[in-house]
Amino acid sequence: MGIVNFAPKILDPIPGGKYVVNAIDYVVNWARANSIWPLTYGTSCCAIEMMSSSMARYDIARFGSEVFRASPRQADLFILAGTITRRMAPAIQMLWEQIPGPKYAIAMGACTISGGPFIYDNYAVVRGAQNIIPIDVFVPGCPPRPEALFHGLLTLRDKILHETCRDPWHEGEPKDVSTMDRYREAANTWAALERMKDEEMAEARAKFKEENPDYKSSFKPVRVKKEEFPEIPRAAKAPVGMKQVEIFKKLQSKFDTVTYHTHSEDPLEEVVANLPADMPLEVMVGREQYLPVVEFLKNDPDFKMDYLIDVTAIDYDDHFDLVTQLRSIELGHKIFLCVQIKKDFSIDESERPTSLLGKIESISHLYPAAEFKEREVYDMFGIDFIGHPDLRRIFLDKDFVGFPLRKDFTHPEMIRRPV
Amino acid sequence: MSSLPPGFRIERDTNTEEFFINMGPQHPSTHGALRLALRMDGETIVELVPHFGYIHRGMEKQAESMSYLQYIALSDRQDYLTAIQNNLGVVIALEKGMGIGVPEKAEYIRVMLSELGRIASHMVFFACFGGDLGGQTCLLYGFKEREMVHDILEEVTGSRLTTNFFRPGGSRYDVPDTFIPRVKAFLDHMEDTMKDYERFLSKNIVVLERSRGIGVLSKEDAIAYGCSGPVLRASGVNFDVRRNNPYSIYDQFDFEVPVTYNGDCYDRYTVRIAEIHESMKILRQCVEEFPKDGPWRAKEKPVRLPVGRYYSEIETAKGLYATYVVAATTGDKPYRIHTRGPSFPHIAALNKMVQGYKISDLVTILATLDPVIPEIDR
Repeated sequence: MGIVNFAPKILDPIPGGKYVVNAIDYVVNWARANSIWPLTYGTSCCAIEMMSSSMARYDIARFGSEVFRASPRQADLFILAGTITRRMAPAIQMLWEQIPGPKYAIAMGACTISGGPFIYDNYAVVRGAQNIIPIDVFVPGCPPRPEALFHGLLTLRDKILHETCRDPWHEGEPKDVSTMDRYREAANTWAALERMKDEEMAEARAKFKEENPDYKSSFKPVRVKKEEFPEIPRAAKAPVGMKQVEIFKKLQSKFDTVTYHTHSEDPLEEVVANLPADMPLEVMVGREQYLPVVEFLKNDPDFKMDYLIDVTAIDYDDHFDLVTQLRSIELGHKIFLCVQIKKDFSIDESERPTSLLGKIESISHLYPAAEFKEREVYDMFGIDFIGHPDLRRIFLDKDFVGFPLRKDFTHPEMIRRPV
Repeated sequence: MSSLPPGFRIERDTNTEEFFINMGPQHPSTHGALRLALRMDGETIVELVPHFGYIHRGMEKQAESMSYLQYIALSDRQDYLTAIQNNLGVVIALEKGMGIGVPEKAEYIRVMLSELGRIASHMVFFACFGGDLGGQTCLLYGFKEREMVHDILEEVTGSRLTTNFFRPGGSRYDVPDTFIPRVKAFLDHMEDTMKDYERFLSKNIVVLERSRGIGVLSKEDAIAYGCSGPVLRASGVNFDVRRNNPYSIYDQFDFEVPVTYNGDCYDRYTVRIAEIHESMKILRQCVEEFPKDGPWRAKEKPVRLPVGRYYSEIETAKGLYATYVVAATTGDKPYRIHTRGPSFPHIAALNKMVQGYKISDLVTILATLDPVIPEIDR
């Protein structure tokens, strides 16, 4: 619309020319305000509400915004649906720059307004989209209902209707322009045309029936040969597996140093009886025996622990607890292994927050699932996994300083929650 | 794939060079902020490397300074399609620590809302699967019935998506009187609509050609990569937490666990459609046996957990959702909460599934995994 922006310079000096400029504004704004094409972009919960708003019940097409474009080159509106993280922020800026102007942005949801539920104790979330790109309309809610998004869209529409090419794109004097009458007129004309078409068609059908009373359509839809689909087989009753006491005793007969508690003299039966229902026993394994124990559990025909639920860690003052949760799909029992990894305090105190403090053997050659889980533990705690094929940061940038889930982690952007 | 006659494709002995394609983080068919780096040979995928973290929000760090009750609200935002089930997973772990029971009516409310959430999530799968294959009409259909579930959820919990409803010992509120009639009406409507849906997509020639024999995940791989839920069951593994480790009152209902054995995209689709039917079966039983009187929550107690480690696992619409709570001091704040979401292992197994298939098949495979990225990154 570059040419339009020159119109005031040429036309305003001419007597009566400003009425032409006003007319140009009217037409251009009418076109722009009623076909705001959003970009298909969404990171989290708000994206689902954005999708809902474009679907059957809410029908964003009523406002001319049903054309969700996958490419920023074809979009006018950037609905920032979902939390913005520091890692995503550069991508958002790039998308914003790729959208051709005039372009508008709606910040949808609490996260994009201020950080929402992720304000305190958070190192990853950008507190407000206005820190990254200019925002036209803020829509509060967590997530906002589709109606709220529509209100935001209509607010934006009002804003566009008040634009003028004398001061292009975003600023301008408020102006009272009503296009609703034209809308209704167009809708009425359209409906009249539709009615006319229906009547004509009905007439034609009746006439055809009169002329050919014995007509039978020979049209047959072309279908691929119908296949018989087998009924989905239903599962049998699930196996129960070994009891917790049995599991532990069997494991102890092979590895005699495993214990079931760090510092308790309680008898095993009592400990198991006191466990909450369906809670597996946490077996303490020595640092050196970790790999042999996991190997044994996986390959032993009595255990058959073929399914890795999770690998995670807990940070304590002087050690990490690495918790490996295993399950046997076939036999039905599960076991939690807990390994204490002593922190390496030989490292200088000033370098401890940024250096790897523990070491343990990787089990990713036994369980492919462990590969990503161990990367997560490495990323969050700074534990080194010996023999891991691809040990990199997984959730954070590669130049991120520190390991967030350690208790002594600090970050310049982190605000403590007021107590 | 298989329908092409032999000799249709001309095999050329030419020198080809591999190249990389970047997909995401903003891409309509990665279902969120997921980035995939693809190593391609022509149009064939040689290797896929997923890059996470574009929506890593540091929930686990934040949870350490929150109270247990506040964390229930955060769990909504992990897998927002099954928010109500995530609430249940966290609450069950807390209940194990507090050692309180749940009255029968509360259990019924839990099961019913969970199953409604499962149906809603599978409807989104249906919509996105069709949409990713090019059938934009499916998007409209899938979201149509989903709005009815949202109406019920909104009436009961006060929120459409992020419900934050269950509490240790029961739930925040009792259900309104209109709850049961509404669920009944929804089921009656859904029974008919499902026939339309299946006629619409299940035997559609485009769907069959683009999903059968595509993205095959063998039984061994599915177990080794830690897949769960419909992805695991489509590979022929009979594993459903509702059946293998029944939580809440799932052991009292008569329902079946659908299992298919090919492990391809079409099987993952049929398993989910069959699961909607099973969920409706459970809901029918709930509606009939719903206790009219009786307490809807246990006596309210401050949420304080004794020292220990607590674990719960539930079956959400996506698969195994486990919550691991570590309480180092007796109090209302956790020392650490860890969530095991079902989508993370699925994306880890994606490389195994796409190798040798075309880039357009990747979209189909990704759609049938039904991942939710914020739940991977947390």
